Amino acid sequence: MNIIINILAMTVPFSVALLLASIGEMFNQRSGVFNLGCEGIMAMGAFIGMLIPFSIGGGGAVAAGWNYLGLLLAAVIGALMGLFFGLIVVTFRAPQGIAGIGLQMFGVGTAGTLFRHFVGGTQSIPGLSSNPIPLLSDIPVIGEILFSHNIVVYLAFLFVPVAWYILMKTSWGLEVRAVGTYPRAADSMGINVNRIRYEALALGGALAGLAGAYLSVCQIKMFSDDLIAGRGFIAVALVYFGHWKPVRIMLGALLFSFTQTIQYNVQGLGINIPYEFFVMLPYVVVIVVLAFTSRNQTTSPAALGKPFNREIRT
Amino acid sequence: MKVGLRLILSPESMIKEEAGETRPVFLAQCFMKKLFLALTVLVLSCSVVFAGGSTEAASGEDDGQYKVALIIENTIDDRGWCQSMHEGILGAMEQLPGKILYEYSERMTTVDSESIARQYIADGFDLIIAHGAQYKNMVSDLAAEFPDVSFAFGTSSDIVGDNVFTYMPESEETGYLSGIMAGLLTKTNNIGFVGPVDSGDAARYARGFILGVQDVNPEASINVAFTGSFSDYVRSGELATTQIMAGADVLTGASQQAIGALRACAEYPDVLWLGQDLAQLDTPEGQAKCVAASAYNYTAVVVGLINSLDEGVKGGVCIPMNFNNDGFVFDYNPALSSVVTDEIRAKVDEALSAFKAAPGVLSNWADVQL
Repeated sequence: MNIIINILAMTVPFSVALLLASIGEMFNQRSGVFNLGCEGIMAMGAFIGMLIPFSIGGGGAVAAGWNYLGLLLAAVIGALMGLFFGLIVVTFRAPQGIAGIGLQMFGVGTAGTLFRHFVGGTQSIPGLSSNPIPLLSDIPVIGEILFSHNIVVYLAFLFVPVAWYILMKTSWGLEVRAVGTYPRAADSMGINVNRIRYEALALGGALAGLAGAYLSVCQIKMFSDDLIAGRGFIAVALVYFGHWKPVRIMLGALLFSFTQTIQYNVQGLGINIPYEFFVMLPYVVVIVVLAFTSRNQTTSPAALGKPFNREIRT
Repeated sequence: MKVGLRLILSPESMIKEEAGETRPVFLAQCFMKKLFLALTVLVLSCSVVFAGGSTEAASGEDDGQYKVALIIENTIDDRGWCQSMHEGILGAMEQLPGKILYEYSERMTTVDSESIARQYIADGFDLIIAHGAQYKNMVSDLAAEFPDVSFAFGTSSDIVGDNVFTYMPESEETGYLSGIMAGLLTKTNNIGFVGPVDSGDAARYARGFILGVQDVNPEASINVAFTGSFSDYVRSGELATTQIMAGADVLTGASQQAIGALRACAEYPDVLWLGQDLAQLDTPEGQAKCVAASAYNYTAVVVGLINSLDEGVKGGVCIPMNFNNDGFVFDYNPALSSVVTDEIRAKVDEALSAFKAAPGVLSNWADVQL
């Protein structure tokens, strides 16, 4: 019983970076832009997030406010990178895939270069500690699984219904879906397609930056060149996995982390199976589920990946 | 032609077209677009180049010097694998003043490594150290093509050419020392091991660790698991957290990714860590959690390589690293001396004496099943 509780209790915080980044990517893709540069934005967010508390405390303890400022600035940097990406793919209509890979290289390279200049070698910080919610965290089983984490974990999961509400129940969400589905029709209705795509990219970038900062400030509490290690690409895959729906994306992030945590535990049981099998298990599970659920992708944004040019009739 | 132009012009420019200004506006737009794309490509290229790591000369060039290049996949300050070799070369430069001209290239993937190695060869370097078994194919190919240049790579005991040195840390010895301490320090009889992959020196360290634990505490269970990566700090932190939640109170790990696991240990007051690199002791969490650490002493290896070159030997030799030939160093963390009992010190001293007296004491390491 304990091992199950432990697995579930770790699944929740381990999934947050993927959850935030993939929800952000969902907004990008819903507007018709897929951003493979998510990894680079996360790297910059992770760097900026840890730089603030490190600059103040030199690796020692700082007031929690500095950590929150780091998280905030990471989101701001992420939003700016999202807008930069928008300049390339929306205004200049560059191919989104190539531009995304470029942004990924730019983000990872720049974060690493700035890190070496301002910080030096692999460096840890005290980071944000857990904030168990009074009373709720005392509930047997549920308390440990859901209410014994840091505040960003709670906010990340609370943002899932908020993201659904923004996307499905607000006029801005309707505009995002419209420009991602049929931008010409949206344009004819007076919606500024480019502006909406810029806004979606800024929001997606902010969430990706925050996801990176979550890793460096809340989870591992350190920064190194390879900190993100492909999680940005997993976040992009989770958007497809979740059929561009916030709740399903959350379930995908939880499934991936759950499988990851299980394989961490199972490896230690001495089962006579090569460890490589366990290491690849989370990816296999996601691919298998994706394969079985991809036949009914009715929510796929029809204009995904297609630049919009109001002077060209398509 | 004019219709074609209309399709890519903005409404504003079309209005200007009527006033006869279309061509300049269109050309200006094209120019600005190309300029922006060129700048973007330039910025991206610069970021990639800088991310490839800096290269610097460590001393002036002189006759009789050997030009030594180091190619590494991570950085010289990763508090692990790459940093230990970098510091080893710096140590060799101190021991052999004026003998070595040193440059290094960081963050070199296996694919990128050949081009930088060829650059070093073109610049007349005498010895190229590609620090990682993943560079084996690159080294083998270049060694055959450039027989006058010496190469070195590790960890490996393979002999791949007359001008290629290899080095193989016999890490079962350092693992054994960590295992002794873990077996005697644990209160829960639950010990964790966070490895990168089950190969090379990490595999030897893991098996030596198990032998050490079993020799002093057969009752203890050892949770050995691998992240599948040498540099995924987040995953190693997650793995360590998982093991701690499962009851482990003493952990160790191999390669630079172990820093993430050490950081995770720092979150738990009753958990201790045993290091595979002395650089871990320099971190705040290492000071708080790392009871002791062993490290590779690459200075001895590099000095040996230079001496071999002096004698006209360009390669074809595997250099083992062990306590017997000063290939390893071991030290306690003074800040945690209170947790090191006399029994632990006695056991460690006994093992160290045996290792220093003769190599190959733990020749049965390969028989250990994980």
